[in-house]
Amino acid sequence: MITAIFFIASLLALLGAVGVVLFRNPIASVLSLVLVMFALSVHFLLLSAQFLFAVQIIVYAGAVMVLFLFVIALLGPGRELATSRLPRQGWLAVVFAAGFAVLLVSLLGNLTYHQPASTNLDLFGTVEQVAIGLFTTYLYPFELTSLILLVAAVGAIYLSREHRS
Amino acid sequence: MFLDAGTLQIAGESLDTGWFLYLAAILFVIGAVGVLVRRNPLVILICIELMLNAVNLTLVTFSRQLQNLDGQLFALMALTVAAAEAVVGLGILVDIFRLREVEDVDELSELRG
Repeated sequence: MITAIFFIASLLALLGAVGVVLFRNPIASVLSLVLVMFALSVHFLLLSAQFLFAVQIIVYAGAVMVLFLFVIALLGPGRELATSRLPRQGWLAVVFAAGFAVLLVSLLGNLTYHQPASTNLDLFGTVEQVAIGLFTTYLYPFELTSLILLVAAVGAIYLSREHRS
Repeated sequence: MFLDAGTLQIAGESLDTGWFLYLAAILFVIGAVGVLVRRNPLVILICIELMLNAVNLTLVTFSRQLQNLDGQLFALMALTVAAAEAVVGLGILVDIFRLREVEDVDELSELRG
């Protein structure tokens, strides 16, 4: 059952990822990416990351993707030019990506895994455990992320202000 | 204690850790192809989000394999940074599109000396 869930979610994620690249219409690309996000949230649940599962759906599929849809609706879907200025860029990209994929897969093939001693996973990845980590060990980076969000918000407001010259 | 123990016990069934990692690697490569092949700057941003998601899956997988929550916390931080990146990137795009229609990222080459 778990194996079947894993493979169905993986298939959906791969189909969505291919759709992101192949769809001509940017709105279809965004909706395809939402499919990938939902499939990956299922993987997060399988890996007992319950909090990340919720955050993935709320923040990523909910907020960030809606932001993308808003911007596409604002700017218009836009036509995609069939040809690029660099000659044979598509082929070069595919060759590069194939080499990169071979590198990654050969790296993963030789992996040995460290097996920890404890096997108690009852509390692993719960909101409580995540909060303990965020507010004790990683309090300083956590506060810095709030600063990043503030800077991003100020930057977005500055960039999208009305130009009066 | 380094043994070849890459299986995860999930609800009584065992899954290979490698499967998750291979899936993340394939998703990352597909995202990289999208960044290189697509011409529309919006779609390039979308493909970058796809790559960030693939990396998050890797972090969570290793977090589960090593039974160490640090990976999940790092994935959370990466998610925050990705949201900030999307906001700033889209802001820049909206600002550029106000001046003119961009159909190809290669049109944005004014900074070339």
